[in-house]
Amino acid sequence: MLLILLFLPLFCAFAVFLPVRRIFRGGLLCAVSFIHSIIVSSFWLKLPVSEFNGYLVLDSLGLILLSVVSFLFLIVSVFMVGYFKHEQRSNRTFTACLFILLSTMTVVSLSYHMGLLWIAVETTTLLSAPLISFHRNQQTLDVTWKYLLVCSVGIALALMGTFFLAIAAHDLHSLLLPALLNGAASLTVNWLKLSVIFLLVGYGCKMGLAPMHSWKPEVYGQATGMVAVLMSGVLTQCAFLALIRVAQICNKTGLSQFYSSMLIMMALLSFLVPAIFILGEKNIKRAFGYSSVEHMGILVLGLALGGVGVFGALFHMINNAIAKAIMFLTAGSVAQKYGSSSVDKIKGVIHVYPLTGAFLIVSLLAGTGMFPFATFHSELMILNAVIIGQHYILAALFIICLAFIFIGIARIVLEIVYGSSTKPVLANKENFFMNAAIIVSIAALVGIGIWMPTPLVNVLRAATVLVGA
Amino acid sequence: MTAWIDAGCIFIVFFALAILATYRIVGMIHIFALQSFVLGCVPFFLHAEALSARVIAIAIVTIVFKGILVPYILLWAIRHVSIRSEVKPFIGFGLSIILGSLLIAGAFWVSLSLQLPGKAVSNLVLPCSLSTVLLGFMIMVTRTRAVTQVLGYMIMENGIFLFALLLFDGMPTLIEMGILLDIFVAVFIMAIIINHINEEFERAPVAESRSETGESF
Amino acid sequence: MLIGIFLILIHWLFVFLLAPLFVGLVVKVKAFFAGKKGPSVFQPYFDLVKLSRKQCIYSQTTSWVFRAAPVVALASVFVVSLEIPLGILKAPLQFSGDILLLAYLLALSRFFMIASALDTGLSLEGAGASREAFFSCLSELALFMNFITLACLTQSISLSEMIGVNILIPWNLDPVLLLVVASFFIVLLAENCRIPVDDPDTHLELTMIHEVMILDHSGVDLAYMHYASAVKLFLFSGILVMILIIPFQTGNPVKDMLIFLTGMLGLAVLVGVIESSMARLRLNRVRNLLLIAFALAFFGFVITIWRG
Repeated sequence: MLLILLFLPLFCAFAVFLPVRRIFRGGLLCAVSFIHSIIVSSFWLKLPVSEFNGYLVLDSLGLILLSVVSFLFLIVSVFMVGYFKHEQRSNRTFTACLFILLSTMTVVSLSYHMGLLWIAVETTTLLSAPLISFHRNQQTLDVTWKYLLVCSVGIALALMGTFFLAIAAHDLHSLLLPALLNGAASLTVNWLKLSVIFLLVGYGCKMGLAPMHSWKPEVYGQATGMVAVLMSGVLTQCAFLALIRVAQICNKTGLSQFYSSMLIMMALLSFLVPAIFILGEKNIKRAFGYSSVEHMGILVLGLALGGVGVFGALFHMINNAIAKAIMFLTAGSVAQKYGSSSVDKIKGVIHVYPLTGAFLIVSLLAGTGMFPFATFHSELMILNAVIIGQHYILAALFIICLAFIFIGIARIVLEIVYGSSTKPVLANKENFFMNAAIIVSIAALVGIGIWMPTPLVNVLRAATVLVGA
Repeated sequence: MTAWIDAGCIFIVFFALAILATYRIVGMIHIFALQSFVLGCVPFFLHAEALSARVIAIAIVTIVFKGILVPYILLWAIRHVSIRSEVKPFIGFGLSIILGSLLIAGAFWVSLSLQLPGKAVSNLVLPCSLSTVLLGFMIMVTRTRAVTQVLGYMIMENGIFLFALLLFDGMPTLIEMGILLDIFVAVFIMAIIINHINEEFERAPVAESRSETGESF
Repeated sequence: MLIGIFLILIHWLFVFLLAPLFVGLVVKVKAFFAGKKGPSVFQPYFDLVKLSRKQCIYSQTTSWVFRAAPVVALASVFVVSLEIPLGILKAPLQFSGDILLLAYLLALSRFFMIASALDTGLSLEGAGASREAFFSCLSELALFMNFITLACLTQSISLSEMIGVNILIPWNLDPVLLLVVASFFIVLLAENCRIPVDDPDTHLELTMIHEVMILDHSGVDLAYMHYASAVKLFLFSGILVMILIIPFQTGNPVKDMLIFLTGMLGLAVLVGVIESSMARLRLNRVRNLLLIAFALAFFGFVITIWRG
């Protein structure tokens, strides 16, 4: 089962290079994502057996990430069909990269060996670079280069951390997660601490935690909507899964205080930095990029606090992904219609495209955690955990920064949605596929927000127990 | 065998320092090829008593990938560029040599407090690998041209690889091959992006400010 | 006492007879690379004899400094040669810390040469003198770093105990040795004004560094200056070869002397080859080259500390 999940997209990646009509590639992506989703849904009923000698194992943590990957790919593939109706460039490399990304992200959620985890995360970093530079002008190339360099350095640091971990586990001779967790007593503490620091900085770079966040607003500002969705919704969560694995090891070896303090420091920075910078933003995609930094901070804060915090963080993984899908897909469709994402060029969307205007308002509410969207519940859970842990100042800072970010995003979105309308570049027509994708995401987010289904609660609980804080 | 391993490690750091001091990009790429070649020979020296197929495979893969293919790809990526030397780095060459020496001393100082478990064939591998990583990082951060930044990244990876040779038993072969392949793909993609940047730069009208700084940003 | 004087005389005879031969060898190698037959290896001797028979001409703008410089240069080189062990010859002058005396005597002679160049009052000599001063700052740095590394390796600060026959702690063929040798070789090229630091055959005053300081001397003074620089090159090469052949010492004195002489021959050929195959570097690149020499010596120093 797992093998089909892995190799089908890889096979299709090669099939993409055949000379076929563009619509076939989009259709192929939709079909493969659909099959992927069906297989993943079957895992919710029964977890599959492990493959490759225990290297690829699906536990409840991996299942959460895998479901996020699957759902977001489905949404993006539907959106893509509509997007490429108006695009001149060939989508060959784009689709091939998307296929390989699907496969590698699956490997990230499945990998139980820290080395394999690193390989998968590095491959996702590398293959998202051609996606960013899809339009190939000077700005996107500059931004792609910056992303590639910053994330490659981060990944190299994570590699060093993995090697330090291997030295710490010298007696165990293995980097498989069960071996590390069972033999936790025999890990050398000094090397383990060094490895945790390097892994945190390395994977944090990939996640976009402050102070390694500098690539985020630029990349999300320049990349097309779909790419931004995949990166902010899935890639960063993949790096977060890596951090969760590190947390598992730390909790077993008694380094949980050490790890939590570093995580809280980074989370705090990740709140403060967007709160300061978002107030001067004029570009809607960049503003959403800062919002992504803030959500990464929320995730990491939940992980650091343990207990309810971890539950909230895992729930937030799902909600953040769907919310980012709504936000960036809407921003992408607006940018395509108006030819720019700047506040100066776009005004009065609701008069020309009522549906897209409504989506923008929804994305504001969903992205900043308003009821009835599920992000509200997950952020509330994490805030709850902060107060239970009696970190009152932290809670106060958390709320203030969230308020600032709400003000910042609201300013931009409301300016774009209302006001006297500017003339759009494209024809006055809403695209069915793009809208369908966004509507499904909104429905999912509201649905989870109002009613959490029992299987979801069970999986989240099992995953929290796995993290073991 | 310890003398050979020591000599190899010293040469690797020396080559990193040499790249720091070189002006011409083609020269830097050639020195990097030499460095990767020496790096590929180190596994042979480390495991001279127990040469297995795995050791030979890793050594050959390193030499072929990093010593031949990567320099070739980088030379291909800059084939259209006319400015063939490093232009206005953030830190001047003399200062960067001195800073590089200080970084090497810092790496040795840090290694004093790191004890490696198990028997040590040569105690120079750890500080030399850390020095190479630091020097590669410094090249990446202080240079303005894209190709030099890629070279800095590759030198970092060389340093990490040298470190990885120490823990041979901890990593299964497949994972090591995967890591090497990943790094190769990284350079491949970076070279393609550089190629796009150069093509874009060639097509765009040459502004006065751009011509001073090459294809950097 | 008598033995002491005898040893000093033997030492001086060895150095002062062979030094011009070394320079002649370098010139011969360069001619070979240029496809010419070149002057005979004994030509420097004939040049020195010819110069010593000529009259010294002194400009009216010069003072006693100008007349003193050649004498100081030759005298300091006389004393320095006593400190350096060559082959099986022990250094007659050795005490703890004699490397400082060596470095500062050379610095004294350089100071007087720079002063004499400035004394003439001509602008090009002044430019060359300033370049010489700048490069010597950097090469001193590298030179001392090398000495510090050797001192840490052998736990002493006397040159004879570092590289001589009575070396305290002999070393094997060591990678650190390679670093020290490389760094010292660059220092040798810089201090003795060889390519790639300075072109000894250049005719253009604008590009001269060392040549411009002996440009205005004539007659016996010029003979003294040429002799002094030849002996300086010989002594530096002697130190370098002694460092290199420590691992190869057999007990036999004849064999050791032969090894030493072969090493000197090889070094002369190497200097000639480098002079023929490279061009002089731009002046700011020379600065980088000397900093590289320092960095190599520093690296060797760090490794020595790390090991010991």
